[in-house]
Amino acid sequence: MTPDSFDPEALADAMAQLLGLTQTPESRAQTIVHLRIAAEQAEKLLSISLDDQEEPAPVFTP
Amino acid sequence: MTAALLDGSARAIAEAVRTGAASAREIAQETLSRIKTQNTALGAFTDVTAVRALAKADAIDAARARKESLGPLAGAPFAVKNLFDIEGLPTRAGSKINRDRPPARADATALARLEAAGGVLIGSLNMGEYAYDFTGQNAHDGPSRNPHDLEHMTGGSSGGSGAAVAGGLVPIALGSDTNGSIRVPSSLCGLFGLKPTYGRLSRAGAFPFVASLDHVGPIARSVGDLALAYDAMLGRDEADPAQADMPAAPASPTLSDGVKGLRIARLGGYFARSAESSAIAAVDVVARALKADRVVELAGSEQARSAAYLITMVEGAALHLERLRTRLRDFDPDVGDRLIAGAMLPGAWIAQAQKFRRRFRTEALALFRNVDILLAPATPCRAPRLGQKTFVLDGREMLVRAHLGLFTQPISFIGLPVVVAPVWTEGERLPIGVQIIAAPWREDLALRVARALEQDGVVRAPVARLS
Repeated sequence: MTPDSFDPEALADAMAQLLGLTQTPESRAQTIVHLRIAAEQAEKLLSISLDDQEEPAPVFTP
Repeated sequence: MTAALLDGSARAIAEAVRTGAASAREIAQETLSRIKTQNTALGAFTDVTAVRALAKADAIDAARARKESLGPLAGAPFAVKNLFDIEGLPTRAGSKINRDRPPARADATALARLEAAGGVLIGSLNMGEYAYDFTGQNAHDGPSRNPHDLEHMTGGSSGGSGAAVAGGLVPIALGSDTNGSIRVPSSLCGLFGLKPTYGRLSRAGAFPFVASLDHVGPIARSVGDLALAYDAMLGRDEADPAQADMPAAPASPTLSDGVKGLRIARLGGYFARSAESSAIAAVDVVARALKADRVVELAGSEQARSAAYLITMVEGAALHLERLRTRLRDFDPDVGDRLIAGAMLPGAWIAQAQKFRRRFRTEALALFRNVDILLAPATPCRAPRLGQKTFVLDGREMLVRAHLGLFTQPISFIGLPVVVAPVWTEGERLPIGVQIIAAPWREDLALRVARALEQDGVVRAPVARLS
C-alpha cells in the first residue's frame, strides 16, 4: 500500500472487522478523518529513501 | 507571608522552612486553602491528598525541631499529572476506564524522589485522556483552564500541571511529554518546562502512552525550581527499562554560569514556517537577547514530525486495543477514534519511521558538532480558545488537537533535552514559549541559557491574576 492508493473508507471498514471493533457512524467518520491525516504524514515520511542497511531505533539511546 | 511564599519559588519556600520563617504545615494548609477556592475555576486538580500532605508537612517540621538536615525541597508543595501512580489511588491517566483499576500499591519513582528531597505531594492533576492530547481538555473531568485567560486552553496533555503552576496553586508540577505534553502547556500557560533527554529520568509508575517516545519532567515558574526538581529526580532506576545507564549530572551547580562561550543558533526551515507571527516574534526576542544571529537547518524535521505522529498512533493504539474493543463508549471520542485509526495503519510505515529515527538522530548530532543550543518556537500560536477545534496555519485549516505540537514533535522524536521559556509581549494577555534545545544529556546547558534569559528579564513566569 502507498499513500497514493490509500482508501481510508475501505481500510476503516476492513480493519474494523478484522480488529473486532464495533463503531457508530460518527466514530467511523472521525476514524476516516484521522486515517487521512495519517496518510498525509506517511506520504512525507515515505518520500525519504532509506538504505537497506540502515538500522531502526526501536530501543533508542540518544 | 505564607501567601507571598506560595507565589514565589519552591526554593524560597524550602529556605523559609529551613530557617523557621514558615512551617511546612502552614505552607501545606495555605496550599490546600488556595486549591479549595480556585480549583473549580482552573480545573487543575482531580484528587487532593490533604491527609498525606499534612502528615508529610508535620514530619518535616518535626525533623527540623530535631535539628535534622532538610532536603532541598523541604516543605515545597508539588502535584503530579494523574498518570503518575500515587499509593492508594487508582491511576486514571485522564480516562474514565482506568478509574476501575485497583489503587496503586506504590508511588511512581519521580514522585517518590521529589518527596525524598522534602517536597510535599498535594494531589494529582487533570490531563488529556491517556495523554493523547495537546489541548488540556478532558471529556470526563472537564477542561483545565488557562489561568491567564480562563476562556483559553492550557494546552496538553499536562494541562492540569500548567493550570496549577500558572494559577499559583503549587510552584512545581510533574508532567509527561511524548510529543510535547510538557512543552505545549508551558508555552500556552507562560511557564518554564523541562523535557529531559529520552531515557534520563525514570518513568516507572507513570502510565504509558508511547514507549518509544515517553518522557517525564517538571513544570515550574522559575528555572531554579526546574533544576531543583530535575536534580532530585536523577538517578538509576532498574524499574524503567528505557532508562539509560548515564551518570546523574545535577544541573543546579552550574545553573548561573551564564551563556558566555555557548554557540547558539536558531532553527530555520521547518521551524520558521507554519507559525503565527507571535511564535516567530518570541524566538526573535530570545535570539536577540542571546546575540544568536545564526540560522541553521535540521534536515528532515518535517519527516521527523510525521514519523513521530505515526509511531504515536500505532503504539498508542496497540496499548489500548483491548479497551477500544470492549469499552469504546467510555473513551473521549476525540481520543478513541484517533486511537482506532492508529490500529489500522500499515506496519511498513512504522518500520520506516523507526529507521528514519536513527537517520534523523545522525543529522542532529552532526549539527551539534558546531552548535550548543538551538532555538525554535514551542507552539505555532498562543493559547486557542476552549472548544476551538481547528486553526489555520500556512493557509490550511488544521485540527488543533493534532497539530498544536508540530514544533515539539521533531525534537522529542530523537529525545533531545529542551527547556521551554515563556515570552510576554506588551499588551498581550497570553504568553508564548520558545524551545531551548541542547544535545543529548546536556540539560545543564539548556537550563543555563533559560536561567540567563530569566535573570535578564527576557522571559518570566508570573502567577496569573485570575479573571
